[in-house]
Amino acid sequence: MSALTLYNFDLDENCYRVRLLLSMLSLEAKVVAVDMIPGGEHLKTPLIELNPLGDIPVLTDGELVVSGPVAILAYLARRYGGDAWATPPLYARHVSWLEFAASALPAARQARLVSVFGGRGDLAELAALGRRALRFMEDRMTEYGFEGEEYFAGERTGIADVALFPAFALSRDWGVGHEEFPALRRWSRRFRALPGFRTMPGIPDYG
Amino acid sequence: MSEGVWTAVGLSSDLEPGAVAGVIVEGREWALWRGVSGKAQIWEDRCPHRGMRLSFGFVRGDRLGCLYHGWQYDETGQCRYIPAHPELEPPASIRVPAQGIAECGGIIWAALGAPAAAAPQYADGLPVRSLYLDAALADALKILPEMGEKISNAPGAAQAVIVEREGDTLLIGGQVVAERRSALHIALLTPPSGPPQERRKLHAQWAARLRLGLEARR
Repeated sequence: MSALTLYNFDLDENCYRVRLLLSMLSLEAKVVAVDMIPGGEHLKTPLIELNPLGDIPVLTDGELVVSGPVAILAYLARRYGGDAWATPPLYARHVSWLEFAASALPAARQARLVSVFGGRGDLAELAALGRRALRFMEDRMTEYGFEGEEYFAGERTGIADVALFPAFALSRDWGVGHEEFPALRRWSRRFRALPGFRTMPGIPDYG
Repeated sequence: MSEGVWTAVGLSSDLEPGAVAGVIVEGREWALWRGVSGKAQIWEDRCPHRGMRLSFGFVRGDRLGCLYHGWQYDETGQCRYIPAHPELEPPASIRVPAQGIAECGGIIWAALGAPAAAAPQYADGLPVRSLYLDAALADALKILPEMGEKISNAPGAAQAVIVEREGDTLLIGGQVVAERRSALHIALLTPPSGPPQERRKLHAQWAARLRLGLEARR
């Protein structure tokens, strides 16, 4: 059996991405609470030795250390996901969305850190970037719909969806509603109904 | 506010049974939802209890529930259930006022306030897409003829047009979101001139080009 440990802050969307995938894969992990805000524990010993970049989530699997949400998702899917998660069809598109999650969506996370936790940054500028990223997702999901594809990497869900979901689900936290994104609303409804789905603070759980 | 005038607020296919969504018309917030039986409703986006936005809530059967305290409203807007007092029959005074709502041509139309006229009637429509624009609706409607499209007013609704293009008939309902934000809800009226999926896709690509051209003007 695995010996997974997740260094986690419950209110952070990057940590949520990992908790979400762990849950969808029915994996047990020891969860170590990191006081990211206001304590800044992710910037101090011992966390800073685990990930010198000074960010969480960090996952350890025995001796192995994996840092960063997208890397952790990719690792977990490959190591524990079975065929459905480990070898997605439309592979190029799948990794394109991971690239997007790592390059375009940090603005959304930062917008939320500014808006909700008083972090540093220009909220209007970050929110505009975040909204642009969501619009890009909306346009692509609209196109996929014409092909009968219900998820970002094709007909089945995968870590692309796990990587993309929190930014959309939490966008109201930084001032962008869901009114303009009908294709993302429908995708979100489908995704929320999948086995193992779980929420985080800020994402309503309708019970 | 264009009181009681029929205005497009979304595509029918984008509101699934059991779904609720926020809609902004001329800066005012509305909750658009569909019960599992299939009937859509549009209400002011505010729970009579504590003012929480109902569009953040959830649909249970043919009732809309508020996220805050779970008060549930039936399709007439009457409060039917208060979780904190499960044995209580909620008084008739706790209700959300109904607005005019109709679906035809693949588009959901709302008459906010008392409907000033009968609901519009169009042929059946297939969804193309709802196109949200960082532009005034008037500018969006103006660019269509400039792009060489053959357009005419769609009868019975405000800011709605019929566009004949590529052998198909499109029904486009415009929605003013704010001064410089708008939406075009685009449906392909039946019968399409070719395979429906291909035709829908073709017009969706056209719509994306339209937005690109329009927003580049700012």
